[in-house]
Amino acid sequence: MSDWPDVWLIVPVFNEAQVIGEVVRNARKTFDHVVCVDDGSRDGSAVEIRAAGAHLVRHPVNLGQGAALQTGVEYARAQPGARYFVTFDADGQHQVDDVVAMLGRLKSEDVDIVVGTRFHGDTSHIPWIKRLILKTVVLLSPRTRRLGLTDAHNGLRVFNRTVAEQLNITLNGMSHASEIVEMIDRRGWRVAEEPVTILYTDYSMAKGQSVINGVNIVFETMLKSRAGH
Amino acid sequence: MLIQYVLVAASIGLLVLFLRRRGSARTAAGTKLAFVLFVLFGAYAALRPGDVSVVAGWLGVGRGTDLLLYALVVVFTFATLNIYLRFKELELRYARLARAIALEAAEPPSHVPPGD
Repeated sequence: MSDWPDVWLIVPVFNEAQVIGEVVRNARKTFDHVVCVDDGSRDGSAVEIRAAGAHLVRHPVNLGQGAALQTGVEYARAQPGARYFVTFDADGQHQVDDVVAMLGRLKSEDVDIVVGTRFHGDTSHIPWIKRLILKTVVLLSPRTRRLGLTDAHNGLRVFNRTVAEQLNITLNGMSHASEIVEMIDRRGWRVAEEPVTILYTDYSMAKGQSVINGVNIVFETMLKSRAGH
Repeated sequence: MLIQYVLVAASIGLLVLFLRRRGSARTAAGTKLAFVLFVLFGAYAALRPGDVSVVAGWLGVGRGTDLLLYALVVVFTFATLNIYLRFKELELRYARLARAIALEAAEPPSHVPPGD
């Protein structure tokens, strides 16, 4: 038993066999419960996940990261004793120490969700093109600014049961980050930001979102069908 | 003119095809009505192109054919958007189906000591 029996880490995985085993093992040094959602990987991701001792939920087909997150949250919130939920990237960009700090804030402060931000203090480690785009996204979104968020597309989030119960990601692809910001606003979740460190390795840079995908995100968010609500 | 017969026949054919296509219960009645009006307008325009040119004149568009082209662009854009939204909705249902299957077959870990 660890110090965090009521915390569930949700890790969406798509073709991460190279690193996922290590990421899960490292996370399990601190947290008991890790659920990996294998989003239809064609490599050995599932085998690595099993060997590392995480819960494994497998999409029969590839659906996208947003859909994988939603699946992970639905699995975790159905587990007895689950009170805190963490969305964590599979590529090793996120730090367990940051999660612990964010959990501390969620427990001690009056908030429902804590999201990570890369834009506190020194940002020189972030590739400049990434910095420019992330800044532009925030500038273009009045909602993000109103909520006082500086980094809407950070995959590291920690939230409580209220958020987990109400979370309903309908955009399957990479646009879910904007959708979550919208949900924070619409459902009135209390939100705080925590500075986190993102490790930009060659591996994660190669796997990460392309700049062009930003166009898709803007388009999908604008045309979002209300049918899903 | 022969083209008039061709266009009217095509319009009627489309109308029949559209009205006989059942199964998608969620196709809004409004869309159906709009489509019927569009087809009737198409047939009318084929029979009396002069009238269309008159309307085009009122609207400040040179010829009747130009007016039809512009209308077509609008209808096409509308239809594309509709299909896009429809597609997204289907994608969401598909995701929910896949999710239900995935959750059904979820595997809890077999005992591996943490942090080893």
